[in-house]
Amino acid sequence: MAIPIAASPMQAFIEQTLRAAFPDAELDVRDTTGGGDHFHVDIATKRFESLNRIEQHRLVYAALGERVGHEIHALGLTTRIPA
Amino acid sequence: MSDVHKQIDDVVKGNPIVLFMKGTPSFPMCGFSARVVDALKQTGQPFQAVNVLADPNVREGIKAYGNWPTIPQLYVDGKLVGGCDITMDMFQSGELAPLLEQATAAAASSDN
Repeated sequence: MAIPIAASPMQAFIEQTLRAAFPDAELDVRDTTGGGDHFHVDIATKRFESLNRIEQHRLVYAALGERVGHEIHALGLTTRIPA
Repeated sequence: MSDVHKQIDDVVKGNPIVLFMKGTPSFPMCGFSARVVDALKQTGQPFQAVNVLADPNVREGIKAYGNWPTIPQLYVDGKLVGGCDITMDMFQSGELAPLLEQATAAAASSDN
């Protein structure tokens, strides 16, 4: 029997923060280890238009603030401009 | 400029290819650092590695220096190229190898 696994508070924080910062975004947040501190974020938003990859990633990091590199030990990022 | 900022700047400006990583190329202490090391080795270009675990000041200082909150960080020609995701994307798309080759070649010719 499959037991549903509740999203961790940190995963919820990431989703809510990015939804608030990028209301138009297509967003997928995965906890890659199940431990609540390693995540991968796929995000597509028009805000990335005219930004290079470094700038796109910085925008996401800035939205998440100080937690990246601290409570969030690892954050894999895939950024896209929506088709 | 703080001491650690200057220390980092000297390494970044003094070497064509610099990787700030956790652990060393022989013994990476983090999967993300290990993947970038592996990609760099596959390009065949020599690179300077800095183990941020060896110095807490560098470990925090590099985040401010690069305006980038995570490690690894790859610098080519004094500029931040990216962390693990961007570097691996560029490796897989074939952009990374020529970028590194050019940086190595330019550094070699400026030494003469």
